[in-house]
Amino acid sequence: MQGLLTRPPLELPVPDARGHGEAASDASVLDDPAEWPAFGRPLGDADGADRRWESGVVVEGMHCVACASTVEAVLSQVPGVLEARVNAATGRAQVVWSADRVSPSRWFAAARAAGYPLLPAGDLAARGRRAKTNRQALWRWLVAGFCMMQVMMYAYPAYIAAPGEMTADAVQLMRWASWVLSLPVLLFSCQPFFANAWRDLKLRSIGMDLPVALGMLITFVVSSAATFDPTGLLGGEVYFDSFTMFVFFLLTGRWLEARLRDRTAGALEALMNRMPDSVERRGADGTFVRVAVRRLAVGDVVRVLPGEAFPGDGTLVDGQTSADEALLSGESRPVPKAAGAAVLAGSYNLAAAVQVRIDALGSATRFAQIVALMESASLGKPRLALLADRIARPFLVAVLLAAVGALVFWWPVDHGKALMAAVAVLIVTCPCALSLATPAAMLASAGALARRGVLTGRLQALEALAAIDTVVFDKTGTLTDDTPRIERAYCRQGTKPGDALELAAALGAGSLHPAARALVAAWQAQSRVPPGWDVLQLTEHGGQGVEGRVRRAGCAQVRTRTVQFGSAAFCRVEPLSVDSAQVHLADEAGWIASFVLVEQLRADAASAITALRASGIAVQLLSGDRERAARSLADRACIAVAQGDCQPEDKLRVLRALQAQGHRVAMVGDGLNDGPVLASADASFAFGSAVPLSRARADFIVPGGALSAIPQAIVQARRTLAVVRQNLWWAAGYNALCVPLALAGLLPAWLAGIGMALSSLVVVGNAARLARAPSGQA
Amino acid sequence: MDILFLLIPFSVVLALVILGGLWWAVERGQFEDVDREGERILQND
Repeated sequence: MQGLLTRPPLELPVPDARGHGEAASDASVLDDPAEWPAFGRPLGDADGADRRWESGVVVEGMHCVACASTVEAVLSQVPGVLEARVNAATGRAQVVWSADRVSPSRWFAAARAAGYPLLPAGDLAARGRRAKTNRQALWRWLVAGFCMMQVMMYAYPAYIAAPGEMTADAVQLMRWASWVLSLPVLLFSCQPFFANAWRDLKLRSIGMDLPVALGMLITFVVSSAATFDPTGLLGGEVYFDSFTMFVFFLLTGRWLEARLRDRTAGALEALMNRMPDSVERRGADGTFVRVAVRRLAVGDVVRVLPGEAFPGDGTLVDGQTSADEALLSGESRPVPKAAGAAVLAGSYNLAAAVQVRIDALGSATRFAQIVALMESASLGKPRLALLADRIARPFLVAVLLAAVGALVFWWPVDHGKALMAAVAVLIVTCPCALSLATPAAMLASAGALARRGVLTGRLQALEALAAIDTVVFDKTGTLTDDTPRIERAYCRQGTKPGDALELAAALGAGSLHPAARALVAAWQAQSRVPPGWDVLQLTEHGGQGVEGRVRRAGCAQVRTRTVQFGSAAFCRVEPLSVDSAQVHLADEAGWIASFVLVEQLRADAASAITALRASGIAVQLLSGDRERAARSLADRACIAVAQGDCQPEDKLRVLRALQAQGHRVAMVGDGLNDGPVLASADASFAFGSAVPLSRARADFIVPGGALSAIPQAIVQARRTLAVVRQNLWWAAGYNALCVPLALAGLLPAWLAGIGMALSSLVVVGNAARLARAPSGQA
Repeated sequence: MDILFLLIPFSVVLALVILGGLWWAVERGQFEDVDREGERILQND
């Protein structure tokens, strides 16, 4: 799965001669043999006299099937191009060309001249391998099905004929015919089972496929012995029909299971795999040329059409649109974007063609960080899955012993029947259902959560989250908007509030402190121009304020003033007697202005907390803010238990105390300064759009800051655990029922095959339910 | 019923021939792009 989530890194050098002759510089890079493996593979002997390559390209500008044959014709006419196959549906082409007779730039140029620019497609090899495995699995299944039908026809007369009605010769003939048509099934269709079993044996371990492979082999050997020596030791019965049937059913089960699993994992993958292949880049002459995304450099201006994904993090320089950032920020509604707005790699441009200046590319983007996070999460094994894996081995040993037991028990009655009872035991037991039960469900849930704006950092955490009975918000910031609002402003006699705000915004522009951001935001809301002050020698005193020398912009002769902006103590003024946060402005002459800031509860805070309460979860607030501020916020958010003035150690102590009382606690923080507290909670959420994903150490990350995601995630985790439990019970119950039946010799091998295939399908299908939103939720 | 001794081997051979034919078709990529081949006749080239 991890291989599918990311594209292989392609190290094509960025052409440095950009600007003059875009097309020429782009294509001539492709003539370097070192670049060829990036988008193709050599056919046959790469060093021989005739070096042939098969290359994959993306064809631009194709609209219909007719275009496909035009491109094929154009490419085939280039001397040295041996074969060109264009697929209109996927917009991709495969070109076989001789390296001795033509260089790639030639046929790239030919296609461009015809109006169909080509782009090298880097993932050809990966796609090709996947298609090949899929095709072969289907083919094995077809062979088994076809032979099964034929063999059934040969077996049928023996079932309906009265004793003595068929001559011995005719019976023998039917058996030989069945044997011949069972051979392709044994040698071809069963091959993956044998290969897996053999690989496990070589590693001296017992795999899931060993019992199945043994069962297949025994059935075939028993039937062959009966065919060629009907009076022999193994009895005179043939089971070719059972054999072909259970192989067919097992393959059907595997095929459906793989598709279902692909779709479940695919939901996750589709979120990740949305980077565009190519984009229109503005050249030096102002025209746009379509280039591969990996050719982009920071600072390029690209035009992104509606429906395309943005290729990198960037700034909108021209046009107005809206973007779908659901995966990246959790905001499910389209986000309006005007010139100057930041856009995120991997989000979709919805409304209109816009021009974007690229600020970050590749692994530097938020999108790449999300992909990396999800990848590492999907590689981790949840505890329940590890448990199932540990059980699987003794379980398989028990199955083998049970099969031997059945064999020994029935051997005196009938050798052939005894072997077939053993085969039924081997085939019907389904440890795969056991080991699939947990990972299938958890992956499906992680995908569903990602679509709702919650990124799962560890799959294991889903289990912990389902048991949560207390949610602790460890910052007021998680409940309030990122930026506080100015409630009131007091100014020195003769100073206008607007001027004070302008000065404060000028000083605060460089700071990330919420109070500074609040004033900057207030200034921006009021005026469209930047503050008209030049700030010299700005120094920020962490947690206290900023100090700088300022003068009016454009008045170089005027003497500068030293201005402080920050807490009352920092500005050496009397604090206001209010509950909420306050920030002050002062200069050499003393106090200039004070701003009273009020934190706004997030729009969905009350409903989210009500939802948590409704699902039986207690909610608490621990805050580093002053006691009264924390309590007033808690009152507004309907949180009963709130505690202010908490140092990180206090929070940790409260958390430990809760856990000591037997509560399972989920901690919601910003994921940065509260790392230790989050780490000791049973489950943790990191919240808010400011979280750099690579540094956030939390089980779940909610980039958009939608509080409603928390109750949703808990509901989803509970459903996940319920499904895991159902799956495990189903697998256990199925085995407990079917193994005794098989031991008693009551289960024919073909029915055992159906049973095993169905049991895996039930497990994976049950897990796939989790990918859908629960009823009543969006 | 002697005809069985001809017909049954014949049916086995036929089944194997059909399998071989299908294999050849799949390996040669006959089913890769099904729409395209059908529409080719509508083009005048």
